[in-house]
Amino acid sequence: IGLPTNSAQECQNLEVERQRRLERIKQKQSQLQELILQQIAFKNLVQRNRQTEQQANRPPPPNSIIHLPFIIVNTSKKTVIDCSISNDKFEYLFNFDSMFEIHDDIEVLKRMGMACGLEVGKCSAEDLKVARSLVPKALEPYVIEMAKGPISNVYITGGSSAN
Amino acid sequence: NRIDANLVSRHKELQREVCDLTEAEEKLDELISKCTLQLRLLTEDPQNKKLGYVRCQDLRKSSDSPDQLVMVIRAPPETQMQVSEPSESYQVSLKSTQGPIDVFLCPEDSSGVC
Repeated sequence: IGLPTNSAQECQNLEVERQRRLERIKQKQSQLQELILQQIAFKNLVQRNRQTEQQANRPPPPNSIIHLPFIIVNTSKKTVIDCSISNDKFEYLFNFDSMFEIHDDIEVLKRMGMACGLEVGKCSAEDLKVARSLVPKALEPYVIEMAKGPISNVYITGGSSAN
Repeated sequence: NRIDANLVSRHKELQREVCDLTEAEEKLDELISKCTLQLRLLTEDPQNKKLGYVRCQDLRKSSDSPDQLVMVIRAPPETQMQVSEPSESYQVSLKSTQGPIDVFLCPEDSSGVC
């Protein structure tokens, strides 16, 4: 049979294809995990605020809160910031004389503990219970996986795809 | 002959693996699009929108150290943000097309007011 050369080539192609898919799956898994974190964090935040408002019997003063979405820029207090703003406030230009960091609101929510520690895989039994209650059934296995440890281990069932 | 047999079985195994991976990827695609939709519905719900806020003291507490200045930016969707190469300068530019951008500093006192 004239199989060998063809087959060898085919195997190579399949090998490449397998690697490609593994890479994409890794990326998609972290994308899904991030979406799950966002969902949990947002629901937790809304719940917390609702409870606080009910207890206080009124909403907080508008100038004491910041609605999502937002981003924050952190820098040292010593940093000199030069800021130019267009008249209509559509355009801004900031110059910092030192380093700064940019974070999105989800990062803030994570630091507030709204993601139940799932973002670092540090989750108490109680945290995990709360987290599971905040996602649809289909996502629970992912939440359990995230609670076990650091994000980004490929966990596909079937296929001996150790890498 | 043996080499052929090995190759054939390797070929079969790879085919099965790629097949499994295809399935896994499709499942992920489906979950990702469901999740994206759920998140959008969740955050666009008017009641949730009203309750989707952090307090100024939350922001302060989530900052790494008390020596940090925390600047808050609230911008309309599709606002573009450009950050310079750190090796050249420390610059940030914001460009909105759909409305004004709000920028303010998080206060350090305990007034809780932004």
